[in-house]
Amino acid sequence: MGTKPVIGQRLKEFQEREVERILGACTRCGKCYEVCPMAQYSKAPASDSKAVVGGVLAVLRGEAGTSEALGWIGVCTRSGVCVPACPENVDPKMMMRLARMTALGGRGQPAQLPVKEDPDYFDRVRAFAKLQLTDDELKEWT
Amino acid sequence: MDVSKAVTFWYGCNVLRHGDIIHACLDILRALGYEPAPVGGVDYCCGTVKDMNQTAAGGMATRTVGKLNARAVPVVVWCPSCHSHMHDFMERGNDRHFDMTYLVELLHAKREQLAPLLVNEVPMRVFLHQHVGFNDLVPVNRMVPELLDLIPGVHVAEATYTAPGYMCASFAAMPKALEDLNNNTARAAKAGGADAVVTVFHQCYRELVGLDAAGAIPVYNYIHLIARSMGLAYEDEYKAWKRAGEGAGELIGAERIAKVGIQFYERAILPELKKRPKLQNSDPGS
Repeated sequence: MGTKPVIGQRLKEFQEREVERILGACTRCGKCYEVCPMAQYSKAPASDSKAVVGGVLAVLRGEAGTSEALGWIGVCTRSGVCVPACPENVDPKMMMRLARMTALGGRGQPAQLPVKEDPDYFDRVRAFAKLQLTDDELKEWT
Repeated sequence: MDVSKAVTFWYGCNVLRHGDIIHACLDILRALGYEPAPVGGVDYCCGTVKDMNQTAAGGMATRTVGKLNARAVPVVVWCPSCHSHMHDFMERGNDRHFDMTYLVELLHAKREQLAPLLVNEVPMRVFLHQHVGFNDLVPVNRMVPELLDLIPGVHVAEATYTAPGYMCASFAAMPKALEDLNNNTARAAKAGGADAVVTVFHQCYRELVGLDAAGAIPVYNYIHLIARSMGLAYEDEYKAWKRAGEGAGELIGAERIAKVGIQFYERAILPELKKRPKLQNSDPGS
């Protein structure tokens, strides 16, 4: 009798490998923060780009992030401007996405950012489908 | 990517606000010789909205990749979120057995076949609302203007503003960033002498059509212009509802509202239709 597969196990293993790779590759030079077009919208803009990146890495390690790091993580909208700016090919866009997942509690650690899940999100999608598609289309397409 | 005639058209979730876009895409694909089978909605969600729950996201990814695998034909993707989430995460945790292309890429690759289908003039000078981010995965900021250039009468104004982020919906929780994005887009479009703003993504269309509803500048998705030139006459009901705002219910009709429930409509749909961008007074032409 085999063991029951864990939901999303391979995805979680991929994320773990990426976290380890990023933690090993990042030199905290701060270039990713310096070029970020969203940093200006952070609730806690940072003056020290090296320190804010260090705070993001702390979040990835499962530790408490600084307010500056959490502020930046909270406004990341995947601009990707950071990717070519990184001299170590870390892929800071992936770093920030994984940090966001971690800070929201999505990877098992306690949440450090407020989780604002829209309770109507999926029902709204279903509702618009009912408003826009025929019954046959609803049955066959969704 | 070499796409066979039978394809799955994976349109995503939130584009279901825009049935006209889905129907037009299907007609365009058929006109190019494909046999598209559309799938989308919650049962085909990529899971990108579940950053706060990676167990749920992983389960959704496994389910959706499995359903797309089972169809055993290439997949044409509409939604930039689904496309990038597949690239970044879904296929890292699941075995993808299908070829995949983004619709803009496909249309761009088939532009020699598309051009003769664009028979109706669409006299319009347009400003392309573009983002960074997704453009690194698919160069939409180059490809979409090249598609628009195929349409008789369309002139694409110089792109003098590129929005941060990969699309507009991710700004929903950042009012100041969203305000800047709306105003910068309207300002750049008017400074470039554009008659209208054209979006690449439905997420941006959903947000920026508020500029249209507020009377700042007309807004379209690029598919609207291709469809118009091809003579496809699907009504953009979402824009009509958005323009009507409080009165959208009269356009939708009691029968359709009953399908979703009047309470749900008033709580979860009407506020979106009534929402307008915060326009700054310095906006030229306003």
